[in-house]
Amino acid sequence: MISYLVFAGTIAGFYALLSLGLVTAWGQGGLVNLGLVGFVGLGAYTSALLSGAGFPIWIDWIAAAVVSAAVGVALCFVVRNLRGDYLAIVTLGFAEILRLAETNEKWLTKGSDGISGIVAPLKSDLGESFPFFYLIMTWTLVGIVAFLLGCLLRSPFGRALRAVRDDEQIAAVAGKSVLRLKLQAFGIGAALSGLAGALYAHFTSYIAPDVFIVQLTIYIFLAVTVGGQTRLAGAVVGSIALVALLEASRFIAAAIPGLDAVQIASLREFAIALTLILVMQLRPEGAFRMTNERSGLSASRAASESCYGKRAIVDDAT
Amino acid sequence: MSNLARRTFLQAGLGVGGLMLSSSLSRSWAQQGDPIKIGLIIPLTGATSQFGATMAQAAKVAETEINAAGGVRGRPIQIVVEDDQSNPEAAVRAAHKLIDVDKVVAIGGSYASAVTSAIAPLCWDGKTVLLTSSGADSITKLPHDGYIFRTSPTVTLQGTSVGKYAVELGAKKMFFLGPQTPFAQSYIDIISGIFKAAGGTGSGLVYEDKKSSYRSEVDQALKESPDVIVLGGYVPDTSVVLKDLYRAGYSGKKIGFSFGINDALTKAVPAEVSEGAYSLVPSAAENSEAYKRLISKMKRPSLDSYSCQVYDHVVLTSLALARATSGQANGTAVRDNLRAISEGEGKRLDDAAEALKAVVVGGQVNYDGPSGPLEFADNGDVKGVFFRYEQIEGGKLVVRKVG
Repeated sequence: MISYLVFAGTIAGFYALLSLGLVTAWGQGGLVNLGLVGFVGLGAYTSALLSGAGFPIWIDWIAAAVVSAAVGVALCFVVRNLRGDYLAIVTLGFAEILRLAETNEKWLTKGSDGISGIVAPLKSDLGESFPFFYLIMTWTLVGIVAFLLGCLLRSPFGRALRAVRDDEQIAAVAGKSVLRLKLQAFGIGAALSGLAGALYAHFTSYIAPDVFIVQLTIYIFLAVTVGGQTRLAGAVVGSIALVALLEASRFIAAAIPGLDAVQIASLREFAIALTLILVMQLRPEGAFRMTNERSGLSASRAASESCYGKRAIVDDAT
Repeated sequence: MSNLARRTFLQAGLGVGGLMLSSSLSRSWAQQGDPIKIGLIIPLTGATSQFGATMAQAAKVAETEINAAGGVRGRPIQIVVEDDQSNPEAAVRAAHKLIDVDKVVAIGGSYASAVTSAIAPLCWDGKTVLLTSSGADSITKLPHDGYIFRTSPTVTLQGTSVGKYAVELGAKKMFFLGPQTPFAQSYIDIISGIFKAAGGTGSGLVYEDKKSSYRSEVDQALKESPDVIVLGGYVPDTSVVLKDLYRAGYSGKKIGFSFGINDALTKAVPAEVSEGAYSLVPSAAENSEAYKRLISKMKRPSLDSYSCQVYDHVVLTSLALARATSGQANGTAVRDNLRAISEGEGKRLDDAAEALKAVVVGGQVNYDGPSGPLEFADNGDVKGVFFRYEQIEGGKLVVRKVG
């Protein structure tokens, strides 16, 4: 049981990294990236191939994040005039293109057979305690990323980004470079997706194009929606809640008497859909709602600052 | 106020989570004692789920039979089914649950090749046997330390058999029509190779499945004027292709695989459309009693080969554990005893209960199941698979050859 919980915790860590990326691009930047899973795959393949070529793992992971970010920025630049639903459709299609490329470029990716035997860092040295090590390492990374993003989103950059999300034209009139801010936010999101993909690849030792299908994107959107789409804390809490829901529903559904295997499996999918509907109905803003941000120019400046430290990681403009 | 609402929300979430966890813990403790658990990871939802329901039913039949015959070492067996959601990532989570929480001795079922490859490392690391019905050749090349047994013929073997049979039927020009699957290109290469070696020609076209018409694909195929068309698809797309071939007036031979040309297909298209199509079915020897018994127990007119394999996964695991009279009932015991009850000089038995009783009293048994003779090469691949070559005649499948 313990090793199972450790495993589930590690998966929650990967989801948390993905959710943090999505909060940055979607919650803070307003860029709907339905191609999230494509960047996860890109990072996973980059890291797996480099590690197969003999590069040390830390280089592979950095490369995974860099390649995903670069491709993300390039994609965002190409579709810079698209917003909302249109951007969502393009990114969804882009992830599918990446998956088909992974399937068909057999010389590089071994096609649908996938790449197996991806080495895990220190696995042979650590033996039994490897899962604990990976859990701690993943969550340390989540902590570092959340802290850095928190600083970034509180900075003028974060405020400008939120201004772009709320109204591009006003942000442009105020002299902000809308395109650059969008590219940066999308790039950060893509980089985190790539990093999570690399961590996943080295953890499970096997990747194939079929791993990176749209289901995972939907899970992450669910996690972020449940947690609160604009808040870093929401991303982390939402990811943990998501994995708890996914895994606990196995035991609950199996405990209901009189159902056959297909009904149990369908009930699990149903529970996930129901959760999303309930959250949207009862608390559409998620567990951590958007917070107001004081301008800092009002008379109550001192009061706003005392509140500043105590409140959750990211404040938000309205 | 907002904080209060959030607290209530989080508390509600935590409460539900805690409830789930406690129920799961009590379950795993309550059952720690008795039954020997055998895991199944099968596609019950998602793109590859067409055989999932019958796979689960077939496994249940095996569980009932083994337990009615006294169980394994005086303990009942218990099937624990997990859905792979047609996704390797979900399958990895399911496999962790089966190995870490349920402590299963073996995992059976795994169908899609990507799913099998993804859970394989967990199985050999966790010393759990993996019985798979996947076809990709790469699976048994993994460093699995003997923990993988594959009951399905490989893609290469199926492709080769179809190709050889088509040549045997006197065809010279082959054209392959199949959907975008991991194996489509391998099939084209393998079958074309066989035709070229026999002095013929071969080519192919990979199409997108879920289309409502394949008129242009069929036209392209007929431009090559082939005398045999190999259909590599599943039932939904194959039935459309067959209709379009019929409309286009194609009169040459048609040959496909059991996942595309089967009873479901004969019901889906008019008899004149499917007339004469050949099908390659991996099977036990002709008129296998084990197969007949299984379909009568499941109250079905016929059953796909994959569900038969899942039935055999459960039986093989049970027999292997029953033979290992000493030591712990674990995956290593299954691995070390599986070949001893499925092949060799022992008495050929095709009834699970009979075989179990013979194994318990120390007899030598060679179990042949509904899916085939179940003999394994050193790398875990099944060998000596029989293929039944069937042809549709007046809307019914008729056996033409077994070999």
